[in-house]
This record gives sequence, structure tokens and C-alpha cells, in this order.
Amino acid sequence: MNDCPECSECERLVQDYVDRVLTDADRERVQAHLDACPRCARCYKLEERLWKHVKRCCEEPMTDDLKHRLLALRTPLQ
Amino acid sequence: MLVGSVEVSEATPQDAREIAGDARDRIRFEEEALELSDQVYRVARRLAPSREEAEDLVQETYIRAFRNWRSFQPGTNLRAWLLRILTNLNIDRGRREQRAPDMQPMEEGDYFLYSKLDDGVPEEDRVVERLSQDDIVQALAAVPHDFRDVIVLVDIGEFSYADAAQILGIPIGTVMSRLHRGRRVLKQELADKAVRG
Repeated sequence: MNDCPECSECERLVQDYVDRVLTDADRERVQAHLDACPRCARCYKLEERLWKHVKRCCEEPMTDDLKHRLLALRTPLQ
Repeated sequence: MLVGSVEVSEATPQDAREIAGDARDRIRFEEEALELSDQVYRVARRLAPSREEAEDLVQETYIRAFRNWRSFQPGTNLRAWLLRILTNLNIDRGRREQRAPDMQPMEEGDYFLYSKLDDGVPEEDRVVERLSQDDIVQALAAVPHDFRDVIVLVDIGEFSYADAAQILGIPIGTVMSRLHRGRRVLKQELADKAVRG
């Protein structure tokens, strides 16, 4: 952590920035800071890459066995 | 509610039409629910500690959903409804296990990975991609399960905060605070693993 108040604010808001849930005013402030501060820009990129990677790793298809088990739960056709 | 217990011999043509309509509704419900099974599984897989348990959780969810299909209100969010069944089942299971949450003291700030890299780790570009699926599963397992439920729904299942709140039966503010705290634990775990290599 460094002592710059702008960096501290950016660090606090960067996750919400990645999630796109900031208000317009906050988003613009974070964007302006990221454009100006290489350290925070690097942190933001890492943050974004980390979550993308986590999501990609969690994409695991169902086994055929489970698919068949679920299909077997349907009401039999008359 | 048992569909099979209707006395067919006493049924009037009106009853017969209602039963046929009911069966059609039920079949349509089952088809729509099954179309969502990949998404339901993805969430279950990260909530349950093993693949077998995730599969059982999904199967039990569908058994309950099909049994109680009439309590689903058509036009509302079926995916959220199924996930509410699943998370309730999972919470029951978690209560039985009675695992004590083991919170670690948190480092200051959110730039966990970056501060690790500041300690002098080469190959920054590949440090994230070096995390394996096992690393991520282990890191998720280290997150206390109240927090983990929210992370899995929002970050992996891609539910909105509002849907996650509805599924877990907690206020949106609680979803956001658990998400924030849970992600900090997860990121700290992942940063440790990424740097250790």
C-alpha cells in the first residue's frame, strides 16, 4: 500500500469498477486515476485477469451420467 | 402433491381436460428446468466439496423441483428458484457438518496479488494463468461458506446481486458485504498460491 489518497480510493473501488456497479461519478474518477497512475492500472489489469481466469477454470461440464440421471427424473410420457 | 392418485374411473371429460393440461404444464416445466441444468451444476460444483457431492446436490434439487413444480410461479425467474432449492439443501448439509469458520487475519488493502508481486516475482504476465483449477477449488474451500455462497452465485453463476439476495434470503446489502469480504479472503488465498507457483 502507498500513502496516496487517490490510490487508496482507487484500490477500494477497483473491484466495483471491474463489476461495473459504480455510480457514473465514481466510475469516471477511477477511470481518470487509472489513466494517470501506472501502478493502479497494472493492479486493475491483474484484478480483471484474475477473475476471468477464476471463471474460466470453473466452467466444467456435467458428466453424461448426471445428465442421464436428471433426464430419468422427468414424468414418463403416457 | 401426488398426480398419480387421481381416480380415473370417476373423472368427467372436464376433469380429463384439466388433467391433460396439467400434464402438459408439468412437462413444459420439466423441460425448462432441465435446460438450466448446466448452470445449476456449475454453481453446485463450486459449493460442494467434491464432484460426487455436487452431482447429488443437483439431482436432489431436481427431485424437489419436480415434486414441487406447482409452487413455482410461471413468469418468475426459474433459474433463481432452482438455485434457491439448491442453496437451501446445501445449507442443510453445511449445518450438519458444523464446520467452524476459520478466518485469517486480513492484510490491508485489496491489491493482494500486486503486493505479492512487489516482493519480487518474475513472469508477472503468467502469474494469474499459472493458477490451476485445483488451486481455485482449494482457495474457494478456504472461504467461510456464507461468503462462498455469494461468490459462487455472483462471480461464477453470474447472478445479479438482487437474484443472489432472493436465492439466499438475505438483503442486498448483505450480499454486497459478504461478496466484498469473501473476495478478499479468496484473493489473498489465490495470491499466495500464484506466487508460490
